[in-house]
Amino acid sequence: MDNALLISLSHQIASYRSMDVIANNLANVSTPAFQREEPTFQEYVTRVPPAEGQSGMQSLSFVQDAGVVRDISEGRMEHTGAQFDFAIHGKGFFTVQTPNGERYTRAGHFTLNDSGQLVTSNGDAVQGDGGPITITPDDGEVHIAQDGTVSGKNGQIGRIRVVDFQNPRALLKEGATLYNANGQSPVSADSFQLQTGMIETSNVEPVIEISHMIEVMRAYQATATLTQTQEDLMRQAIDKLGSMPS
Amino acid sequence: MRALSIAATGMLAQQTNVEVVANNLANMNTTGFKQGRAEFQDLLYQNISVPGANSSDSGTVLPSGIQIGAGVRTASVYRVTTQGDLKNTSNPYDVAIQGPGFFRIQQPDGTDAYTRAGDFGLSPEGQLVTDQGYTVAPGIAIPTNALSVQINAQGQVSATVPGQTAPQVVGTLELTRFPNEGGLKAVGNNLFLETPSSGSPQSGVPGSAGYGTLQQGFLETSNVNAVEEITSLITAQRAYEMNSKVVTAADDMLQMTARLGG
Repeated sequence: MDNALLISLSHQIASYRSMDVIANNLANVSTPAFQREEPTFQEYVTRVPPAEGQSGMQSLSFVQDAGVVRDISEGRMEHTGAQFDFAIHGKGFFTVQTPNGERYTRAGHFTLNDSGQLVTSNGDAVQGDGGPITITPDDGEVHIAQDGTVSGKNGQIGRIRVVDFQNPRALLKEGATLYNANGQSPVSADSFQLQTGMIETSNVEPVIEISHMIEVMRAYQATATLTQTQEDLMRQAIDKLGSMPS
Repeated sequence: MRALSIAATGMLAQQTNVEVVANNLANMNTTGFKQGRAEFQDLLYQNISVPGANSSDSGTVLPSGIQIGAGVRTASVYRVTTQGDLKNTSNPYDVAIQGPGFFRIQQPDGTDAYTRAGDFGLSPEGQLVTDQGYTVAPGIAIPTNALSVQINAQGQVSATVPGQTAPQVVGTLELTRFPNEGGLKAVGNNLFLETPSSGSPQSGVPGSAGYGTLQQGFLETSNVNAVEEITSLITAQRAYEMNSKVVTAADDMLQMTARLGG
């Protein structure tokens, strides 16, 4: 009897989790290079003894979290016109030196700091092939080629380092659109184009998220009804059994 | 239920977005105004299971973990420092900068401010001043009897006075540049102040390496693109609406939960 309640509970917990992930996707609909996530669930099967009229062990399945899968497809390209806004078209990540070590990001809104170093909006230096990239006003109009080569009036300044990973889905999100390598070692990316004056938007599709949200809500409602029915049954059983003449 | 607070961060972010768009649109006709853009970042993640963690003793690993995000935050509102269009005004004291650089302005308290809005005028003493009456550095005095004033691309100001055929040079306007002009602090009245993140100012002659040139009789318009702003406004409004729908849905779910066991 309790199994029905517990199975409902497992589904309710899963619904809450789905809702959290959908909320985070929608909250980040305007976050550059944010990659949407989708929770996946799996069955957890248990065996229970047969009820009257059944033979053999019966199986019951609960819902269990399996993981949150990141959609690594590319977001749309949005024009900003800012000189140090970059979008990676193709595979790859920028390398950023944070106080906690190297982190990776696809969000390419960079600026210069007081010493002319290319930094993220958190002030972390963007890495070139040979360390941070420093642009001085004497470099004049800076040109950034599609392969990341930065050149000024006095020749090449450096090259923005773009790396890729064997398994980009296994990177760990750290917030601030940064990823932690999580044990993988970066390899240099070769099939990308760097677009200047553009920003990659998030790959969240509001229509999909909203329809998922409705789906989750309805499923939750169904389970809630099931739980309610189950409870009514229990109460009726107690009432009936309790009123039996002794 | 995290969905409620996550959606709230989303609504806050879109509110900031609308505010930035509103300010851009309000300043569409402000001389030398630079378009602002809100930049967002995702918040911290709670790791419920880490991708790559062992899923069995025989060394199999989880292909994807469970990371639940906490929403979004505004990381920065930055200025897009592209050149605005030049508008002809025919006013001899209107000067536009074409290329990088700022005019240095001496504020009444003795500190320096910087601006790209070159809608200057003359003080009662004949000094070149901004429309608030602050002196344009290094300080240029136009003879009171001047018939005409010329400012050339290199910033040289010359005045023609009665009785003389050749114009006489009365001073040179200078331009100031910063390692990171995005780091300047806007203080209103088209003025900017130096900050630790802008780097220290360097002054030079207009037209020399790394500095823009001057154009007399023109003003730099704002670089706000109305179509772009309206599009952002619509996007921001819809995103706000969607986040509010999440709040409603999360609320409904909580309500259903509360009704259980009624």
